[in-house]
Amino acid sequence: MRAREPDTDGYVDRDGFKLHWEVFGDGEPTLLLLPAWTVVHARFWKAQVPYLARHFRVVTYDGPGNGRSDRPEAPAPYRYEVQGRSVLAVLDATGTDRAVLVSLSEGAQWALWAAAHHPDRVLGNVFICPSMDLELGNEMRSEPFDEPYTSTDGWARYNRHYWLEHWEEFLEFFFSQSFTEPHSTKQTEDCVGWGLETTPQVVIARERAPCPHEATLRGWCARVRRPVMVIHGDEDEISPPRCGAALARATGGALVVLEGAGHIPNARDPVKVNLLVREFAESLSGRA
Amino acid sequence: MGIAEATAVAREQTRARYPDAEGYTERDGVRLFWERYGDGERTVFLLPTWSIVHSRFWKAQIPYLTRHYRVLTFDGRGNGRSDRPEPAAAYSEREFAADSLAVMEATATRRAVLVSLSCGALWSTLLAAEHPDRVDGLVYLGPAVGLAPPHPERAVHSFLEPLDTDEGWAKYNQHYWLRHWEEFLEYFFSRCLTEPHSTKQREDCVGWALEMAPETLIAAELGLLSCGLESFERQCHRVRCPTLVIHGDEDAIRPHAQGAALAAATRGRLVTLAGSGHLPQARDPVKVNLLLREFVESIAGRAR
Repeated sequence: MRAREPDTDGYVDRDGFKLHWEVFGDGEPTLLLLPAWTVVHARFWKAQVPYLARHFRVVTYDGPGNGRSDRPEAPAPYRYEVQGRSVLAVLDATGTDRAVLVSLSEGAQWALWAAAHHPDRVLGNVFICPSMDLELGNEMRSEPFDEPYTSTDGWARYNRHYWLEHWEEFLEFFFSQSFTEPHSTKQTEDCVGWGLETTPQVVIARERAPCPHEATLRGWCARVRRPVMVIHGDEDEISPPRCGAALARATGGALVVLEGAGHIPNARDPVKVNLLVREFAESLSGRA
Repeated sequence: MGIAEATAVAREQTRARYPDAEGYTERDGVRLFWERYGDGERTVFLLPTWSIVHSRFWKAQIPYLTRHYRVLTFDGRGNGRSDRPEPAAAYSEREFAADSLAVMEATATRRAVLVSLSCGALWSTLLAAEHPDRVDGLVYLGPAVGLAPPHPERAVHSFLEPLDTDEGWAKYNQHYWLRHWEEFLEYFFSRCLTEPHSTKQREDCVGWALEMAPETLIAAELGLLSCGLESFERQCHRVRCPTLVIHGDEDAIRPHAQGAALAAATRGRLVTLAGSGHLPQARDPVKVNLLLREFVESIAGRAR
């Protein structure tokens, strides 16, 4: 059961796969809440949609591989340029000229791509705990993804073979790292449930699609002209806070550090995040 | 729990809303700490319950209600910033009722809607029966009243006698409390908060309970054990104001049938919360707050 049902919904046909979108409310401007990693679908915005839809028009969609979207088992739909173009395809399908892009984690890569390549369609960007190859240094997870795993400790579970054998255990682990805040049992249960709506085969396909490198990302950042706000939890165990700080610097954006917050503050600190997003969106249209 | 953690529990968390006035009132040598919020025309008085927790158990009600009403609350004797008298007789329902009236006097509160939780029902009923001119209405949450039988599993073990088991409700025993205070609290609140995802509410409650000593709760328990069913039924029949009973259908502390019987005895309305345990004000605050507001508004609408 949802606090707010969509006013309209539909599918957009991409090249060989379909994505499911939903629209809530009719305020100005439109906020597009992007998908994140394939282990979750658009319901991870459940604590934002009812509030934001009272003030703005809100569009969400399920990324390829989960929710009501198709589940390709080839890497192409997960490539960042394709994900970036999917953002545009959803804007077109919902009759949205321009929108504020709100992204979580690796959704930042596609939102940044869209802002750099289609500035006329993007009013501004809110990046929540962005996950991308900015100032990660050598802290990238080093365990080999494709080799048979030799350990089941910690991030050793980020392994293709482990996923195929222990998908639910992996999800439990991953979200225990995402929600470092105490009293996150409900949010963890929700996310694990969404992760079980897809398969390890699908998420392995997503892993085969490369992420943009640091030089590429910096090139995109330099082209961003519209306002940017980065929100990052200072206890984010998935994407280090310095990644968000680097993104804010490279785009000339504002950085808001949430004390004690982990990787998914929109679920764990929804009121704080909602107020920040609203304030940002209102400052733009101000409006402009 | 280590010393550092215990200290952290004792340090109060930040609040969404701080009181506009606070103070102590003394009655028969017992100091009672009260707080007043807001200045609406109507007063909603959030009463203490069993001394195992203090007035912060209303934390999810105060900020909302204060936007609409003047809200009054106080720490029941035995916990919080109120005194902890030793004799069991100091914890009878009459003492709590007299304390409540004393707080109304101290805050110049002529009339109020009384909201009670669990055994707070005993004193709110007594006040409404004996001081009808001071009480506009009664709301009972998960009332602990003897109008219907208890859960069978809670009627097995003696509270007073030493037991040779500490399984389940055998922990509800004064000897166990003295030996394993925190374990008892963990158990008790796990039964109060049976809903999934109640870790925060349990942690809060255990923390508040750790602000008192088991000796005090034993006295409070003995004080309440002496409450007579017959006199309580008589008081119910004397209640003339509107009443609302809110009871979870999965309340593992007090059966829903007790709330239903209280609604019938006071000719009030019964609202059953599906899936709720004993502390819906903590676990389903929005639902409870909206019901409270609706009830107060319905009284405001009627002529006195």
